[in-house]
Amino acid sequence: MWGFLTTITSLEFKGGKAFKPEEEHYLCMHWTVKRIFQAVFTVYVVVTLSFALIRLMPGGPMDYLRATLLGPDQTGTVDRERLNRQIELYMNINPDQPLWEQYVQYMSSVFTGDFGQSIWFNRPVAEILLEALPWTVFVMGIALLLTFAINIALGAIMAYKEGSRFDISMTFLSIISTSIPFYVGAILFLLFFSFTWELFPPGSRVNARLDPWTFEWIMSVLHHATLPILSSVLIGLGSGALIMRGNSIQVLGKDYLRVGRLRGLPEGRLALRYVGRNAVLPMYTSLMIAIGNVFGGAVVLEEIFTYPGVGYYLFVAVEARDYMLLMGAFILITVAVVVCLVVADLTYGLIDPRAKGGGYDEHA
Amino acid sequence: MSTPEATSEQDETLESLFEGYTPEEQTLLDKIQTFLYESVYSPFLIMWVDWRTRVGLMILLGFVLMGTVGPRVVERTYVNHGPYTQPWFQSMDHPLGTDRIGHDILSLTVHATPAMLEMVAGGAIFAVVVATLVGTVSGYTGGKIDFVLTTFTDIALNIPGLPLIIVLAAIFEPERAFLVGILLTINAWAGLARAIRSQVLTIRQEAYVEASFTLDMPLSYIVRRDILPNLMPYILMNLMEMARHVIFASVALYFLGILPFTTHNWGIMLNEAYQHQAHTRLDLFYWMAVPIIVIGLISVGLILVAQGMDRVFNPRVRARFDQSKETSTEVDNV
Amino acid sequence: MAVTESSYSTGSSEDVIIETHDVSVYFEMDRGTSKVLDDVSLDIYREEILGIVGESGSGKSMFASALLDAVVAPGKTSGDILYHDADGSTIDVLSLNQEELRAFRWEKVSMVFQGAMDSFNPTLRIKGHFIETLKAHDFDVDEGLERATDLLAQVYLDPDRVLSSYPHELSGGMKQRVLIALSLLLDPDVLVMDEPTAALDLLMQRSILRLLENLQQRYDLTVLFITHDLPLVAELSDRVAVLYAFQFVEVGPVSELLERSSHPYTRALLNAVPTLQTPLSDMEPIEGSSPDPINVPTGCSYHPRCPLADERCIGEEPPFYATEHDDHQTKCFHWEDAISEIPLAHHKSTTGSSQIVEGKQSEEPVLTLDNLCVHFENNNSFLGLFGESQTVFAVDEIDLDLYENDILAIVGESGCGKTTLGKASIALQRPTSGEVQYRGDDIWAVKDGRSESDRSYSAIRRALQIIHQDPGSSLNPNQKILRTLESPIKHWKSDMSQTDRRSQIYGLLEYVGLTPAEEYAQRYPHQLSGGEKQRVALTRALLMNPEVILADEAVSALDVSLRVEMMDMMISLQNMFDTSYIFISHDLANARYFAGSVGGRIAVMYLGEIVEIGPAEEVIQNPKHPYTKVLKWSTAELDSDASQEELPLRNIDIPDPVNPPSGCRFHTRCPEARTECRVNSPKLEATDDGDGIEAHQVACFLDKPRDHPYWSSDQLVSEDNPTLVE
Repeated sequence: MWGFLTTITSLEFKGGKAFKPEEEHYLCMHWTVKRIFQAVFTVYVVVTLSFALIRLMPGGPMDYLRATLLGPDQTGTVDRERLNRQIELYMNINPDQPLWEQYVQYMSSVFTGDFGQSIWFNRPVAEILLEALPWTVFVMGIALLLTFAINIALGAIMAYKEGSRFDISMTFLSIISTSIPFYVGAILFLLFFSFTWELFPPGSRVNARLDPWTFEWIMSVLHHATLPILSSVLIGLGSGALIMRGNSIQVLGKDYLRVGRLRGLPEGRLALRYVGRNAVLPMYTSLMIAIGNVFGGAVVLEEIFTYPGVGYYLFVAVEARDYMLLMGAFILITVAVVVCLVVADLTYGLIDPRAKGGGYDEHA
Repeated sequence: MSTPEATSEQDETLESLFEGYTPEEQTLLDKIQTFLYESVYSPFLIMWVDWRTRVGLMILLGFVLMGTVGPRVVERTYVNHGPYTQPWFQSMDHPLGTDRIGHDILSLTVHATPAMLEMVAGGAIFAVVVATLVGTVSGYTGGKIDFVLTTFTDIALNIPGLPLIIVLAAIFEPERAFLVGILLTINAWAGLARAIRSQVLTIRQEAYVEASFTLDMPLSYIVRRDILPNLMPYILMNLMEMARHVIFASVALYFLGILPFTTHNWGIMLNEAYQHQAHTRLDLFYWMAVPIIVIGLISVGLILVAQGMDRVFNPRVRARFDQSKETSTEVDNV
Repeated sequence: MAVTESSYSTGSSEDVIIETHDVSVYFEMDRGTSKVLDDVSLDIYREEILGIVGESGSGKSMFASALLDAVVAPGKTSGDILYHDADGSTIDVLSLNQEELRAFRWEKVSMVFQGAMDSFNPTLRIKGHFIETLKAHDFDVDEGLERATDLLAQVYLDPDRVLSSYPHELSGGMKQRVLIALSLLLDPDVLVMDEPTAALDLLMQRSILRLLENLQQRYDLTVLFITHDLPLVAELSDRVAVLYAFQFVEVGPVSELLERSSHPYTRALLNAVPTLQTPLSDMEPIEGSSPDPINVPTGCSYHPRCPLADERCIGEEPPFYATEHDDHQTKCFHWEDAISEIPLAHHKSTTGSSQIVEGKQSEEPVLTLDNLCVHFENNNSFLGLFGESQTVFAVDEIDLDLYENDILAIVGESGCGKTTLGKASIALQRPTSGEVQYRGDDIWAVKDGRSESDRSYSAIRRALQIIHQDPGSSLNPNQKILRTLESPIKHWKSDMSQTDRRSQIYGLLEYVGLTPAEEYAQRYPHQLSGGEKQRVALTRALLMNPEVILADEAVSALDVSLRVEMMDMMISLQNMFDTSYIFISHDLANARYFAGSVGGRIAVMYLGEIVEIGPAEEVIQNPKHPYTKVLKWSTAELDSDASQEELPLRNIDIPDPVNPPSGCRFHTRCPEARTECRVNSPKLEATDDGDGIEAHQVACFLDKPRDHPYWSSDQLVSEDNPTLVE
């Protein structure tokens, strides 16, 4: 390891950070463009990866599909051309073309929204997933917001009462809650709330017999979503509260708070505008991580609660070896996460005046 | 290597100044003793002083024993080994109960440990080594290497982990435990790499790093002595975090049947219980509870040790430790 | 001789605005009570400027906080603090309830803290800070903002720009002035300032003091100025109180204290400060260190460090003695002897005649800077695509020679590029253009393998060493001192035995005053004080027998009394090692002390350019460039009847180095600037006054003969200045 490091010889000190430029708007704009470019590039890499996995893996998805289409006897009663046409229908890839043409064709179909055909459901992948997406966003969005609201409130109260019995017991609980995997929470919820006490339904999104957008329907939606949301909130609880607690304690020791108090500012303003705002800002980083975790967690939770969102179809796809559905769900989840991250990144500059673009992690 | 351009005359003035100073020459044995004392004995004692780390270390030690000695002591279980679905704490033969086909749950748990430990070690070490390497190189060198590594890291960071793992697992179907471990941390290193990079960027601005550079000390020295010791607590804490991540993710994926079943492990136990509707019936709860408790316990152990890591590398704690050794009467004076 | 116990006031109570009686601040700890302010009593007169001087850790900040009952928990305050309002009513500060206290603070007494950098909410615009303060005290917001605008203009700020800025967009000096304006917003009677200028450049410190004086007169303020820097406060104050070991030891009018101070500690403080006038040989550091609150010596707390101490001082605590002057009191048994026993250095001031010390410099330069430029590109754009990069001209076209046994002091404000120049000189910063030569070889050519020379880069690298500014980060916190010092020798002199290696290290440590060396070597950096860390850093720099050491503000972070000691040590090491120093400082007095004692030079830098350079005493005693004069003005002198001249600057803040002003870069602030200065920039040339000192060079038209176009062009008026509202 050291040998490797020693070979890097471009060693010069970039000293002298003596000056600070005043003009920031240009940098800001550049950074926005850079950030969006990076997001698009990430999606591009992921789609390419999916192509590579489908097309290039020996014994992989393509061969599997061919075997499936040929049927159990494998005798080749279907002629090659027709077989390839079917493959193209399902996968947007024509095996007869040269590799780069297959690649171009695959990429252009994916970027125009054509994810191919699901073998299991025999419907276009895009149709299945677009129908499922709002449900996932609904559940996970609420979970994310709730998690943050609870974490911030909890952490701030713990910091204000630092050293009290409340603080100590909550710290202890937070450690316990981070020690338990979130899906265990989900299973326990199912066991107690659904099967033992029968308070909440154990699966599906809504009572299908109700008419959409009636009051009963909305209540049914919320009723079905409660357990998934609660389990998801468990993912981020605890560690987030501890981070908020640490931030708040740090701000509570800052000079500007002392000066603010001397200036006679009301406690409410100090708590919200001074401690709250400055302690929440660094939480943005953990929000970013939480976005990824929540969508990752959605995959597991939707399966446990048989809640037909994007994650659920990912599982169905794995079990049914429906590779196009698998890739579609994966790409869609990636896009959702990337978009969330970009939005979070770009809005950060609006909230923190010190962020000069991308500065939240490097110069914190 | 040329010698510095100091004149020998100057050396003489220096030496004449320092005559009369003859510190004792250390023998090789002394050096080995000093090394053992500073690198093994005192860090261990420093960790041992804190109750949290002590408990954590004991838990982890317990799991290591369970993974090494355990399988030799506990008999491997088989079908019809005991009665079907006997709850826990009912008989001495099967203290943790049996499953649907008469497997002894205690034996299943113990025999799952070696593979779990292998997977955890594989994943955690892979992620931490990659992260440290990428983060340090990228932060210290800057320029084009930095740009390429940062772009790579950012992409890895933006792809949601679990879905990626599921897709890769579905296609590659890995079976070796340490390969599963690596797969589970396939992009988990990215966040750590980025954090290490920004820390390295800060540390290399420190005056003492510049001083080492000015003395033309080799890069390996600067990285090993000036940069990494500052990162060690952070890296080791993350090693523990990664270990937890691997355990959680692997259990989740085995539990959901994404990873191919090989030898028994805690996730598969959970899966079998789940398949047999243990999550719908309170009387079968013990079946799921055993793996859950085991996972929770190892996780608590890892968290506790991670919290104590900071102390081992904190020079203030070490100095206090040295002093309390010298003057054992006055422990609380610093 | 009258002996008054506990109260030092002789003025009538009508003049007194704040009375304090037996005020203590204490912390309850496991091992007992720690008193960080010990039964002090002091009266503060209406509309006076009272300076409170003490070393760090003497309890001076606690006194300041106690006046507003703002001691941070778990500290507790006891005693009596009475505030006499202008309408004749009296407020007992320590018995106010929360709501009354909220109104009392800022409306009657307001306070400016040490950490101006951190006194503003980073997510709130400056305007928000003003508005929320007005609202919290039920003041009219529009009227208040008008007053704020007025106040900001008076501290030389552009009110509109500043009000709409976020705190991080302002420089340290600007923030400090905004804070002063904010503290005067509600028209308080008393302003308490706790080390308000400690973190700033001397010039900024001095400018702020001058503004403060104006504000004090304009608003009839009572000002309490707390500092460790006696000369700084001497010029400003009417009275000075000296705090030592949590008690006042001497109080009196400033002229009395400077001329006839009768406490040995005060006299020692006066002698420890390098100034421009004091003969160099007469400055001396104070031995020992100030006591810890848990372990205050018995009797007179100063006795362990006092040359006059006898049995009585150890056993008995001295009362306050009134001296001949009414208002001057001293807590010392030997106050009458102190004046004769401890002579004051500044009484022997030599003015005018410059003593030039002959140095031992060589003929051939060690380092030669040839047309050296360092420009920083601020390029944050992606892949240089949307490239709109800005260039910062940190160092611009510098020519310099450094000889063996030489000392070159580079002086200037922060942001003038002096550190960059220093680092470029010792090849830690690659120049944008120009050359740095080490004994005739272009260092960067050697490094890149472009040079014919047989000298290795590594040898050059080790011949040029550095001591950093911040003691806190100069040593690796994870290593014991021994390892830090041993590693370079191990690596470069691998044939040296461990015994020789260690004896060399111990010898050096002993020489720089770290005894017992073997014990110090086993410590971690956090177990050393700032001064001790800097000595270890110095030792490390010397390990390789370097030819040049860059001392980058190496003494600025140390207590005043330690600075002289450190500089003395560096000079004595120069004699032993034949080393040259490049000494970077914002303080002309330190530069003079350091460079002057061995016949070195001082270079004055402004926005990347050297504007004046010459032998140290010559530059100090006979400055040619207006900027050098301003810097000299900023170096506080021990002089009570300070000249009341106007601020010799047209603008307090240094311009943005991204867009340096055209012509002479100093013209935006220069009091002598004419239209010619805006157009043409003067070259650095030998001075014209025929004093025969060729080395003295200056870049200013003022030094040109009368037929130069400068003299016929118009005087620049402060049109780009915020106008003063009078």
